[in-house]
Amino acid sequence: MSASLAPECNGVKERYDTCFLKWYSEKYLRGTGKTDDNECTKLFEDYQKCLSVALKERGIDKLLKEAREDNKENDAEHMKRK
Amino acid sequence: MVLTHTTNHTYSHPFPTVTLAFFLRYYSPQLNPFSSHVLSTDTISSHVDPDTGRLHTTRIHLKRSRMPAAVVKLLPTSVTGGGGDKSSYVLENSVVDIREGWMKTESQNLNFTGILSIVEQQHYSVSPPDATASSAERDSVLGTSPLASTVARPISPNTFVTTTFSYRSSLGNKKQDHAALASTDASDEPGPRRIGGWISGWGANRIQRSIESIASNKTDDAVNKSRDGMRMVLERLRSNGVVAVLMELRRREGKSVFDQS
Repeated sequence: MSASLAPECNGVKERYDTCFLKWYSEKYLRGTGKTDDNECTKLFEDYQKCLSVALKERGIDKLLKEAREDNKENDAEHMKRK
Repeated sequence: MVLTHTTNHTYSHPFPTVTLAFFLRYYSPQLNPFSSHVLSTDTISSHVDPDTGRLHTTRIHLKRSRMPAAVVKLLPTSVTGGGGDKSSYVLENSVVDIREGWMKTESQNLNFTGILSIVEQQHYSVSPPDATASSAERDSVLGTSPLASTVARPISPNTFVTTTFSYRSSLGNKKQDHAALASTDASDEPGPRRIGGWISGWGANRIQRSIESIASNKTDDAVNKSRDGMRMVLERLRSNGVVAVLMELRRREGKSVFDQS
């Protein structure tokens, strides 16, 4: 079972992962899982509540923001060249 | 400069199973023995686009030794943090379109980007790489509307994947230094205090090229391991469905099995 980067979130993460994989294989891949609001939504919210604290503590939220800004810059440069 | 490295591969498994294996590939070293360098995996966003029916997922993986040891040796400890902790956060974005039969993924390292930025892009498809454009054209000529039908085409027994790695070192470049040293960048004093000052003396450009080529030379090995891992997950899924695979893993870990309500 893959761990969360925050050990305190392992429980909620595992419940979400199991739900997601089941939804993905049994619904999405069969063309019936078309909405965001599914049986895993509540589990995902619990998981994110736990995880977002850890992302902030470890400065990963900043790394994410930097990566998004860099990607935006690179995209803008590509557009300019054309 | 950017060094790129592109390879093609064919999995003898249908597309839906390959996408499932992609999500499962770091799930457990028991499922994929080539995933023991992955310390953690977290999903930070997951949603289905209501217009296209595409599933967009963002995950963060923590991997050990993402930075090749040869690169770490080239760098002063002030940059690598002593070289003891070489684990790296990897951001993975993926989009699956089950109706059109393709998945695109992009993974990039989140830290050490000032030294080396590695981007891995993968394009999985039900059709071979050179046929993709024409099949997309055919679909648009037929005017297939989104969500009009589920996968109606015959299921191809194979899945084609094109993988492109891009390596870019910007060590010594002004902007990247700024990002790398953001925490110690309290003063605005310019000059050789930066890594740029340290490195430009003996040829920043040459070091950047060395770092890119060392990393690029390791690509084949990384690609092979990643394919072997995918294949092992795929074989498990071929003989058992995903739910059976997950329950078996839980049993082996000595945990109680979730109720399947």
